[in-house]
Amino acid sequence: MAGIWVYADNPSLTLELLTAASSIAEGLKTGVAVILSHDRDRAQDYIDCGADEVFLLPPLSGDRSAGDYAPVIADAAREKKPDAILVAGTSGGKEIAARVAARLDTGLCGNCISMSVEGDSLVMDRFLYGGAAVQKVAFMAKPALATIPPRAYEPSRPTPGRQGEVEELPAPPISGIKVAGSRGREKRTEDISEAQVVVCAGRGFEKKEDLAMAREIADLLGGSVGCTRPVSEELHWLPEELCIGLSGIEVKPALYLGIGVSGQIQHVTGIRDAKIVSAVNKDENAPIFAVADMGIVGDLYEVLPKLISALKKAKG
Amino acid sequence: MREIVACFKWVIDEAYIRRGPGGDLDLSAVNYKISDYDRNAIEEAVRLKEKCGGSITAVTVGVPEATRGIKDALSRGADRAVFIADALFAGLEPSQTASVLSEAIRAGTQFDLILCGEGSSDLYAQQVGPRLAEKLGIPCICYVQKLDVEGDLLTAERRVEEGVEVVEAKLPALVTVLPDINTPRIPGVKDTLTASKKPVVTVTAAELKSIAEARLKTTGITAFRMERSCERFGTDDKEITRFVGALRKKGVI
Repeated sequence: MAGIWVYADNPSLTLELLTAASSIAEGLKTGVAVILSHDRDRAQDYIDCGADEVFLLPPLSGDRSAGDYAPVIADAAREKKPDAILVAGTSGGKEIAARVAARLDTGLCGNCISMSVEGDSLVMDRFLYGGAAVQKVAFMAKPALATIPPRAYEPSRPTPGRQGEVEELPAPPISGIKVAGSRGREKRTEDISEAQVVVCAGRGFEKKEDLAMAREIADLLGGSVGCTRPVSEELHWLPEELCIGLSGIEVKPALYLGIGVSGQIQHVTGIRDAKIVSAVNKDENAPIFAVADMGIVGDLYEVLPKLISALKKAKG
Repeated sequence: MREIVACFKWVIDEAYIRRGPGGDLDLSAVNYKISDYDRNAIEEAVRLKEKCGGSITAVTVGVPEATRGIKDALSRGADRAVFIADALFAGLEPSQTASVLSEAIRAGTQFDLILCGEGSSDLYAQQVGPRLAEKLGIPCICYVQKLDVEGDLLTAERRVEEGVEVVEAKLPALVTVLPDINTPRIPGVKDTLTASKKPVVTVTAAELKSIAEARLKTTGITAFRMERSCERFGTDDKEITRFVGALRKKGVI
């Protein structure tokens, strides 16, 4: 019987969770199961990629929400008693994980950043205080639930010849929530989570037009422009999808350049995996300098024109 | 709309957290605040009340010192507060917070709509809202950026991976809000004065049936440290050239 279950709203996240699950399955001496709602006809692909069992959720009509699966997943867990359920940390995943945890009266490690097996128990790390601290947690009840942020693990790859079982789960009861419509993300922005160079605009910019300088530097470096929360949320100069931080997008570029970014902890946590952190800020005491490899202390309006011409010169 | 409940948490303001010499967490100089996104929950309650009428109860679980948060919530526009206060409530984990809230709300607070922030500034576990909805057996709509109520039907725009989903639910229901749903107003002197005259009901741990055991145990907290080389550069042309040269040497341009 598979003791580690994974659930994600889409195929690529399911493959990432399979990697995460495999990393602990051996230590817990158990197998891995995928709870599958999105591409039911691809159960064998997930078995090839590490699943020993696949639980198929029945498809839902268009006016129903994936959250409706919470009672079905909880009932299955009550019956089959897995050790752990790993859920992709998307907005829908985080909601369903909390609801399943409440139904099973068990613990949930939200936004898990690392996990390991100590003895025969799972131990996980997560951030506290916007990333100023790391909290280590142990589970006092089973199953242990966790949400795993997207892109924390590489997608699992297929191993030919693997075999596994497929089982159908029952249809979920009608819930009080009706989906009346939806609209896709406007394709006005790029995905900065995979960018190799990220130029981040902070509150130090005086007006929206001046972001053109950040854009020019990003173009010279072959990178993308992101921003801090005040720039997207308060000033609305850039869309929400470009907001970098613990509650926004986490980036892991080779180079991060923060311009006029003070370095609040929630933001800094979102750039922790950058290879090189650099910053321009006129306040020499700005917290960003304590977490930067290279810092220019100076007014961005003086520094950026010089930086632009130096970069042009360097590129020949 | 009749009764709106806005849940909030009184938390350490993380801007005051320092790292001690040994890498431990220095909380000696911290200040406290209403958790950032809970301010949006309170503001949304006030906004809905202005539009549809009704009254607002602010509810929190915390240690007795969190009484400052009660005053803050009342000055932000709540009509009354329920303060579930006990020294035992220090460091509750989300499953416990949700069960304490649900028991206290069931015992004496009317609600048609419960509003919570999407997550707290300290734990950011993002669980109490959906767990509370399950405990109360009401629909739960999370990560909402726009909310409307007409009669007993609520319409919400919630953020999902692919974009935005518009969902409907009959009241009673629970909604967790994103920070961009509104801009919380800053209470004025008059608001603060009125706040001290508003009714507050205090519930202690002894008045609850029992406090559930923690399901998640914290076994350690350490300051997070990023090892960076912290090299400084000046602003004259020579220094900017040195900066670009260093980027080139590191192989990023």
